[in-house]
Amino acid sequence: MLTIRNLEAGTADKPILKGVSLTVNKGEVHAIMGPNGSGKSTLASVLAGKPGYEVTGGTVEFEGKDLLDLDPEERAGEGVFLAFQYPVEIPGVSNTYFLRSAYNAIRKYRGESEMDALKFMSYIKSKTKFLELDNELLSRSVNEGFSGGEKKRNEIFQMAVLEPKLAILDETDSGLDIDALKLVSNGVNALRSPERAMLVITHYQRLLNYIVPDFVHVLVDGRIVKSGGKELALELEEKGYGWIEEQAKAGV
Amino acid sequence: MPVDTLDRSRVLSSHFGPLESLLAATGDANLHAWRRANLERFNALGLPTTKDEEFKYFVAPRLNEVKWQLAHGANVYRSHLPKGLISKLETTTLALVNGQIAPELDVLANLPKGVILCGLEEAITNHPELVNQYLGKSATLDGRLGSTNDERFTYLNSAYLADGLFLFVPKSVTLDIPVQLLSVIDAHQGPIAVYPRILIVAEENSEVQIVERHVGINGEYLNVPVTELFVGQGARVEYTRIQTETPEAIHIAGVYASQHGQSVLETHTASFGASASRLDLNIDVLGEYAETWMNGCYVARGEQLVDCHTRLDHRVPNCQSFEVYKGVIDDHGTGVFNGKIFVYEDAQKTDAKQTNQVILLSPTATINTKPQLEIFADDVKCTHGATVGKIRDDALFYMQSRGIPENEARDLLIYAFAAEVIEAIDTPGVTEALEEMLFEKLSK
Repeated sequence: MLTIRNLEAGTADKPILKGVSLTVNKGEVHAIMGPNGSGKSTLASVLAGKPGYEVTGGTVEFEGKDLLDLDPEERAGEGVFLAFQYPVEIPGVSNTYFLRSAYNAIRKYRGESEMDALKFMSYIKSKTKFLELDNELLSRSVNEGFSGGEKKRNEIFQMAVLEPKLAILDETDSGLDIDALKLVSNGVNALRSPERAMLVITHYQRLLNYIVPDFVHVLVDGRIVKSGGKELALELEEKGYGWIEEQAKAGV
Repeated sequence: MPVDTLDRSRVLSSHFGPLESLLAATGDANLHAWRRANLERFNALGLPTTKDEEFKYFVAPRLNEVKWQLAHGANVYRSHLPKGLISKLETTTLALVNGQIAPELDVLANLPKGVILCGLEEAITNHPELVNQYLGKSATLDGRLGSTNDERFTYLNSAYLADGLFLFVPKSVTLDIPVQLLSVIDAHQGPIAVYPRILIVAEENSEVQIVERHVGINGEYLNVPVTELFVGQGARVEYTRIQTETPEAIHIAGVYASQHGQSVLETHTASFGASASRLDLNIDVLGEYAETWMNGCYVARGEQLVDCHTRLDHRVPNCQSFEVYKGVIDDHGTGVFNGKIFVYEDAQKTDAKQTNQVILLSPTATINTKPQLEIFADDVKCTHGATVGKIRDDALFYMQSRGIPENEARDLLIYAFAAEVIEAIDTPGVTEALEEMLFEKLSK
């Protein structure tokens, strides 16, 4: 589904990703772990098409298409979804209106007919339940005045509504207490499916207790230096990142 | 050879002579003497230049260049009007075309007993005592605070006072359907100067929702409308004013409201049209425990100039006012906001809030914003804030990442910015109509 080959990217003055290669098949959940500044969030941003990053080498193929060649909205149309580390507040645009615009824009991109407001309401109501999301949040402006937990739940809610093929979760656990973490993880787990892949980006192993990955990759200084199964996350939790950073340096 | 500016000022006054006998036929000798006095006051000042403090940023060269003609008649049919309010609103409509009453555009519903909705000329003839009691009483800053008060265009409007629109809502009457006061201008026969006058009286404890619209159909013209609005003791009035003149037009308007005790006045102004537009919204709060809302939304694109001046006189204690003006400026457009709030010495416990927020969509867009609070009482709460920003890139990307195309996301963000103002309107149908107008304006 997703094939990243030797991806090099950074900001105008600083290379951050220095040759990342990764293959994700449908149905798989991959965790990307790594110390601060290793390039985890840059990887997520580059995949979603965030402006401000420059790709200087490598390729990214998604479902047979050159992902890097597409605008952010086209990527969403193809089925890529990024759950933001810091969800953005948009005063004046209601959550429902926002989601319906997004949902219909994606349908339009795929050549499908738009869904009317009434049908859409009943469609999203069916999605609020399993996230225990207050219906009142739907009529409020997007993320405005939401608590940290509500914002993250709202991200997962959007994911549930838009039903992406590939979900990238960027530090979804940051800023969550244990109850909120459980709620968000339950939401994510409910969305696991044989047709859907997930890329779970996190600094801490904690999240992976709840969202158990099929594969774990460790990103250090812009490269994936180690890959393994879910037990690799536990090892990192126990030993920290120091040993792996040293191994990485020694290996160069 | 360039024509002297002073001569050009006289272009507008020069219509008075040929029109005078016609003007004098409406109303009594006092009214006509008042017209003449206003003409003299205008002549003493002439057209403004950017050296006049109140017109510092009002750069409208065509105002001086054009040889404006007397307004001619025009036949405008409903099908000529832009889609929008007139069909959408469950409303009663009274219309002017080129300053003349235009029954073909009227939509008249049954009104409660005692309500008067008719042309101003008719009102002057049939209800002279009522008109005398109110006409010209509100539209003046004589004797008021402020060292730069400038009402020259109101003088000009008063000098040419003839027809217009008149709405009278008697004591304790509630109008269930909104009243649309519509002024349409069609300048297909060359550049004309038009002076519509609107007089609205809401007596004590009455309730009414008013939508005043200025719609341009054709060509270049100068529109100088004046509205007077009396809000009686305990009355509740919602007044929405929507300006969509032609792209060539110049619109210079004065709206004057007098507000009595315990009344609630909500004003919403939307300025979208004209090559250069100016709105002076003046609200004079005369009675205690009155509540005033001033919401405004203005958009300038292309080479447009949109100049919004507001003035609020808190004369008495224990009143509240809330003002939010939002501007969207694109291309080479220029926006001006000047918000004056005078808190008189007696007006203790005044609570006044003023905000002006602007987004600039292009590096060549300009905004001149100036809050101007003059406070002579010591126990008051007055706040003001002005912010100038641009579309937030993070919000744009967030929306795109959810599949919304960039243009659509941009329009939605601009709408969202203005929504605080537009969505505050209670008059049914108006929010939706304005939303549509705003999207259309932004997508051109």
